[in-house]
Amino acid sequence: CMGYDGDVYRGYVIDDKTMSQIKMGSSAEQTLVVLGTPSTTSTVGGDAWYYISQKTERKLAFMQPTITDQRIFAVYFDKNKKVQRIANYGLEDGKVINFLDRTTPTAGGETSFLKNMMQNLLRFS
Amino acid sequence: QQIVVQGSQRVDAETIRSYFGGTDEGRINQAVKDLYATGLFADVKVRREGGRIVVAVVENSIINRVAFEGNSKIKSDSLIPEVQSKSRGAYNPATVQADIERIKDLYRRAGRGAATVSSRTVALPNGRLDVVFTIAEGGKTGVRDIEFTGNHAYSSYRLRNLMQTTEMNWLSFFKNTDVYDPDKISADLEIIRRFYLKNGYADFRIVSNDARYDEAREGWIITIGVDEGAQYRVSSVNVESRIADIDPAVLRSNVRLKEGDVYNGDLVEKSVEGITREVARKGYAFSSARPRGDRNPAAQTIALSFVVEEGPRVYIERIVVKGNTRTRDYVIRREFDIGEGDAYNRVLIERAERRLNNLGFFKKVRITNEPGSSPDRVVVVVDVEDQPTGSFGISGGYSTTDGVIGEVSVSESNFQGRGQFVRVATTLGQRTRGIDFSFTEPYFMGYRMSAGFDLFAKQTLNSVYSVYESRTFGGALRAGIPITDEISLGVRYSLYYTKISIPNDINRPYNDCVFPIPGITPGPYNAGNPPPPGTVLTCVSNGEASVAIKDAALRARTISMPGYSLIYNTLDNAKNPTSGAYAELRQDVAGLGGNARFVKSTGEIRYYYPIFEDVVGFVKLQGGNLFGFGGNKPGVLDNFNLGPSLVRGFAPGGIGPRDVSSGLDNRSAGLGGTTYFGATAEVQFPIYGLPKEVGMKGALFVDAGTLYGYKGKTEFNQALFLPPGTPCQPTLFTSTGVAYTQSNCINVRDEHKIRASVGASIIWASPLGPIRFDYAIPFSKVKDQYVGGVYQGGDVTQYFRFSGGGTF
Amino acid sequence: CSTIESFNPFGGEKYETKLLADEPAEDIYDQGLVRLQKRDHDGAAKKFGELEKQFPFSQWSRKGLIMIAYSNYEGQKYDEALSAAKRYVGLYPSTPETPYAYYLAGMSMYNQIPDITRDQERAEEAVKIFSQLIEKFPKSEYVEEAKYKMNVARDQLAGKEMSVGRFYLGRKNYTAAINRFREVLGKYQTTRHAEEALYRLTEAYLALGITNEAQTAAAVLGHNYPDGQWYKDAYTLLAGGGLSPAESQGSWISRLFRRA
Repeated sequence: CMGYDGDVYRGYVIDDKTMSQIKMGSSAEQTLVVLGTPSTTSTVGGDAWYYISQKTERKLAFMQPTITDQRIFAVYFDKNKKVQRIANYGLEDGKVINFLDRTTPTAGGETSFLKNMMQNLLRFS
Repeated sequence: QQIVVQGSQRVDAETIRSYFGGTDEGRINQAVKDLYATGLFADVKVRREGGRIVVAVVENSIINRVAFEGNSKIKSDSLIPEVQSKSRGAYNPATVQADIERIKDLYRRAGRGAATVSSRTVALPNGRLDVVFTIAEGGKTGVRDIEFTGNHAYSSYRLRNLMQTTEMNWLSFFKNTDVYDPDKISADLEIIRRFYLKNGYADFRIVSNDARYDEAREGWIITIGVDEGAQYRVSSVNVESRIADIDPAVLRSNVRLKEGDVYNGDLVEKSVEGITREVARKGYAFSSARPRGDRNPAAQTIALSFVVEEGPRVYIERIVVKGNTRTRDYVIRREFDIGEGDAYNRVLIERAERRLNNLGFFKKVRITNEPGSSPDRVVVVVDVEDQPTGSFGISGGYSTTDGVIGEVSVSESNFQGRGQFVRVATTLGQRTRGIDFSFTEPYFMGYRMSAGFDLFAKQTLNSVYSVYESRTFGGALRAGIPITDEISLGVRYSLYYTKISIPNDINRPYNDCVFPIPGITPGPYNAGNPPPPGTVLTCVSNGEASVAIKDAALRARTISMPGYSLIYNTLDNAKNPTSGAYAELRQDVAGLGGNARFVKSTGEIRYYYPIFEDVVGFVKLQGGNLFGFGGNKPGVLDNFNLGPSLVRGFAPGGIGPRDVSSGLDNRSAGLGGTTYFGATAEVQFPIYGLPKEVGMKGALFVDAGTLYGYKGKTEFNQALFLPPGTPCQPTLFTSTGVAYTQSNCINVRDEHKIRASVGASIIWASPLGPIRFDYAIPFSKVKDQYVGGVYQGGDVTQYFRFSGGGTF
Repeated sequence: CSTIESFNPFGGEKYETKLLADEPAEDIYDQGLVRLQKRDHDGAAKKFGELEKQFPFSQWSRKGLIMIAYSNYEGQKYDEALSAAKRYVGLYPSTPETPYAYYLAGMSMYNQIPDITRDQERAEEAVKIFSQLIEKFPKSEYVEEAKYKMNVARDQLAGKEMSVGRFYLGRKNYTAAINRFREVLGKYQTTRHAEEALYRLTEAYLALGITNEAQTAAAVLGHNYPDGQWYKDAYTLLAGGGLSPAESQGSWISRLFRRA
């Protein structure tokens, strides 16, 4: 609102003209040429490609960007790499999840407060 | 044929024979060459003697030790690895000669080009020898002078000032910026090139740059040839868009140059950035703007055009952070607006690089691209090098208000690599003692919002300008919220306890009218017992705190004060700005608990403008207001108590309403006021003639301002232990006009007159920190006066002020 | 800084003749060992250095070199230890001590591995050196420990991928997060983080709304780590969304695990 450049496009840049060129039965190579490498593929063999794009908006500089639009263009291929199914997921499909903050513990301990302060001092040039 | 070896001692004959592949002429010559190449032999001769080949060799002797004498600049341990002659190695005159050149080269690079090196050998009883290098280091050979050819628009003095490398002068003993270093020179040339591009010289070229060593003057003469070309003005500006539905007119607003302006390289770069960001916001993440200038040399004009075109559709596959041995990965990654999987956009990457550099945690930040796993993927590699961000500050300082100050502070701006700022500082001074601790987390809870807290304890002793001592301790919680790149909001809550006390002892009898000190306080005189005529010394005349201050000293105060500040900041450089503006509005409300109830609001606007070359003009406006609420009248401690910060040339607390009831010395009777306004106009300029690295700047200024509006109580019975409701008692004076009793009411002299002064100052960026000398003469002030025979003091002036030291 | 140096009062250094006796190699070697006992690692490294320099191309210089690596390693001067060990491996690729040199080089890197939020270059280096040791000297007595240490280093590398993945997950950049967690499943499948990576994929796919991928990830998680806390969380997550973890055979995740 304050004229701040808040809204930023993230992920795949969607434009409907090229999207419409992908039809049932077109080959994987064709899709690759037209749409480019997918944001992420869901099979090792590449039998489902996802093109994920998000529009995020940040009203004020300090806020976390909020997703205002999220579109996923999914292309599913059959055994011999022909487009079998196309699906579009929108923002409404996504579930709101609060992500667990438990993490798998890793090595490399935290340096204590004082050690850290002293360590820097001894090294000041 | 058989080969006989003569004269070999340490090297056994067999190895020498093995060098001879055969006995024909060619093989023999080759063998001789190889034997010499080993460096073990001084002389090799081959002759045929009766069908046999005799190889007479003279072995090089073995070096016992390599020693140096006469060197102090470069120590022997650092010279030994540089020379090829090694102890226990073979002595070879050719290697020694090469070593001499090597040592000379080392000295030239260390700024001692005139050094002479000679070598000699010392034979030893065990058949070995020592190689001794004798060095005469000679005087310091830096850059004698830097000359420019072909510069008409700007003087050589001006261009030299831009450069890091400086000429030798009487300061050479201290500095090392005058040492000849080719890398620094090339960096200087880039600075000069950008300077010319910034001032309209689009065709600027550096034609020649040669450094000649002048034996006579024992130094380097650097000559830089420049071809300035014409100073171009912008004839037309237009924006072309090769992308169908982007309307160029919309992008015009981002162009920072208009017709008639002088061409400016930096502003072109900024315009490109603005346009690219605007286009990216419209969803064309891959496009970017490309500047093009069609020169018209005759009219010396440039037609500027920005071409917006679709870039390659490339996405970022991964952002790899390397080299961060201390800073944590997410502290670096969060400075990027774009992430993995997003469209690659050069402008946003450069912005992240700028942000990372501004953090101050890294010696080097280099962002490069590597090809990704498919043609339209790129891996962004962020290579950083941590630098020590801890600083240990010891600084001395002197200011006329606080006397001599010493401060020891330890701060760490990248604490545990998390980007947090921690600072502990203790201040020891003649008149102030204190300790404060502050902590700031720049990304509170993942938001780009800084949050932190401070704890402080401070004790101030009395001084010429304040008759009371104060003890304060407390803390504050604060948060800084950036609204846009320029505007930010600060929110804080501070809670502190403060208690003042009035010293009442032999040499500071400031309360002896109420608590007489036997043997010191004259009298006690009162209405019933007037002092003998001609008395000069009374309990008031030996310095007495105003009854308003005695009242404030009665009880401690806890102040619980939430507040906010709105800051607009476009200064180009925080430490010494040359352009841009800074505006701040602060409001604090004391009264959320605690026993003080007032609303204090202050405002300040500073505007810097580069008038000419290095001369900077600077205008400042400031103002403030304070009012009590809930029946609470703001007293002495709440009021604004201003002096030099409002108008230079006045003593601390020297401006504003005064208690003139005692008819005597009023330096310490300032009551402060509730409203103030001030304005300053200043011009800062380098002091010509002084070499740049001394870091001296001069300034001329005019200050004006006023402080008025005492809204506090005027009756203070409690302070004099009088029953409440006692009417005002007049102050009683001796025949010679000296007061000998203290009234329970104050007589406030509160004038709205504008105080003003004109003055000059010297600002010195000394190795101990910035030091500033101000000399100002007030030409409009509230003067002393006599009303009904009673003396009433006016403003207190103090022409000279000096403050310095302190960590920055 | 240069100012203090410039007026150093002693003037130049003086020269006086000093005879350097030639010591036999054995004595220098023993002196080195003595210093090692006294834990004077720097002194020992210097002594073995002399040994190596004075008797080039002899078995003494080879012995000296490996001892330099060992002394520096004990003195925790890991960079010097690494360079000495690497020089040894370069000069003497197949001697009885070469596996030990590899081991010393690997351990010098291993001991400098920082926590996961910092540059893991040393972890990568340790993995590379240990794998060379295992490959070149399968029967050496150090292979056992090298295998173990290599897995710890790989776990550290997986930990870093996970931390960056979680960073992007927190900022709702699901593409970046998914690709990072896939990297863990692809390259570090045998580390402990694979379990959490599967759970995080469930979260990310659900947030995107691609439910069949989320179900598959949770199903594989259940299949391989049935009694882990992560699977329980994944189950409740999917149940919340009204879905049960059904494995769609075609999905890459199941095929990836079947292959492992």
